[in-house]
Amino acid sequence: MAGSMGIGSLLLWSFLAALAAGIGAALGTRPWLAERAVGWASAVAAGLMLGVGYVLLTTGQSIAPAATLFGAAVGLVLMRMLDGVPLTAPGAPTTAVNARVSAPPAHDASAILASALHSAAEGVAIGAAAAVGVPIAQFLLLTLAIHNISEGAVLGVRLRHTGGRPFHIAGVAVIARSSQPLCAVSVLLLASAAPWLLPWCIGASFGALLYLVVAELLPQSYREVGRTGIAVVVSLAAGMVALMGVAP
Amino acid sequence: MTEMLGLPIIWTVFLCALITALATGLGAIPFLFIKSLSPRVAALANAIAAGLMLGASLGLLAEGVRHDPGRTFIGAAAGIAFILVTQRLIGKHEVEFASLTGAGARRMLLVVVVMTVHSFAEGIAVGVSFGGGQALAIAITVALAIHNIPEGIAITAVMRPRGVPLLACALWSVFSSLPQPLMAVPAFLLVERVRTALPYGLGFAAGAMVYMVLIELLPEAYDQAEGRTIAMLVGLTTVAMLLFQQYL
Repeated sequence: MAGSMGIGSLLLWSFLAALAAGIGAALGTRPWLAERAVGWASAVAAGLMLGVGYVLLTTGQSIAPAATLFGAAVGLVLMRMLDGVPLTAPGAPTTAVNARVSAPPAHDASAILASALHSAAEGVAIGAAAAVGVPIAQFLLLTLAIHNISEGAVLGVRLRHTGGRPFHIAGVAVIARSSQPLCAVSVLLLASAAPWLLPWCIGASFGALLYLVVAELLPQSYREVGRTGIAVVVSLAAGMVALMGVAP
Repeated sequence: MTEMLGLPIIWTVFLCALITALATGLGAIPFLFIKSLSPRVAALANAIAAGLMLGASLGLLAEGVRHDPGRTFIGAAAGIAFILVTQRLIGKHEVEFASLTGAGARRMLLVVVVMTVHSFAEGIAVGVSFGGGQALAIAITVALAIHNIPEGIAITAVMRPRGVPLLACALWSVFSSLPQPLMAVPAFLLVERVRTALPYGLGFAAGAMVYMVLIELLPEAYDQAEGRTIAMLVGLTTVAMLLFQQYL
């Protein structure tokens, strides 16, 4: 597609963005990083995701409003279907991460899978942005790289009790985030082959990001920190990203 | 623009804002048939209201950004600050209310005052939306009218169990939204006379409403319903609201 980002560049930059999760995870293993900090990290992540969602929404609506908005509904429904899928048997932990940070060890796998699920939705967003143009893709990659540090820190704190070395936990976080570059490249290829799908993909990523913020990141933040601080942080983070994304 | 819907524009602005205020009284109607509202239903109503406000805010932001992104986001920051400061001020007062004293009276007063204060922002939203054209104005009016019904439910749900008559509950509900018609006309006149104020006004209303969603509606919804259900309701009502604005 004319003006879109090359596959090689997308793969490289989205992988580098995924690596940022390793930094956050390594920090999360440090005992001095309080669980309350995870609430703040989740709030920052939520704000950044909302800001990115807003930028995507305005981009999609400028291409095909109806397809973008119906795509958003599809994204919401898909995320709801994927969210809470039992990992093994009935009663087993699910992919949902909206449990307390101090959840029992049985939830480790669910935390890793939830991180991968978040990454997949964000990967769809990156891929759709890459198909739209290089500037918006670069903006999204930078924002999500910062966001990945917060998400990595959340996973790091969750896995701290395993006693694993920071390098090992950072590796787990990066592997969980590897769904981001894979989904990004898949969506770019899909949008190149069938350009009419692009607004649907943009809409679906907006819906998925909104779902993840409301279903998982915000409840966790409110639980760990309280409402006023979280509302301020989320608003500011979302506002700054949205302003940078839409400013000429 | 001097006329809209066959009336002088000022009257149209006032009547639309009055309709949104009267809609708040409809929130008392369910209590004709029930004694109290289950907390879960109240939570789901909050989630729907949050989605409507989020959708309306996105419409206001889009219109503001079309005029001037920087001014819109400065306005949004001012809207957030306005709600933050007024809530801080409200939280410090202890008074008698509706013939009751003590914690119950304080809770009732807090609910009514909070609703009244944020009605200022909603009145400004209605007023400035008329500066953005008829389609935006109708969309915001309808959204806020529907959104006000759960607010009336919330007020009645607090007052009714404490023995306040149903009519009084309905009147207090409408009272809490009276700032809407009172603020809508000056806000409209300001953005009509000083066109550069329009993006500030649109941003102010959007910022205040998003902040209300984050500081009140969502945390209260999370108290009584699970995150996934809230996310679906918020997401779908946001998308429905955006579709409504797009194709009105």
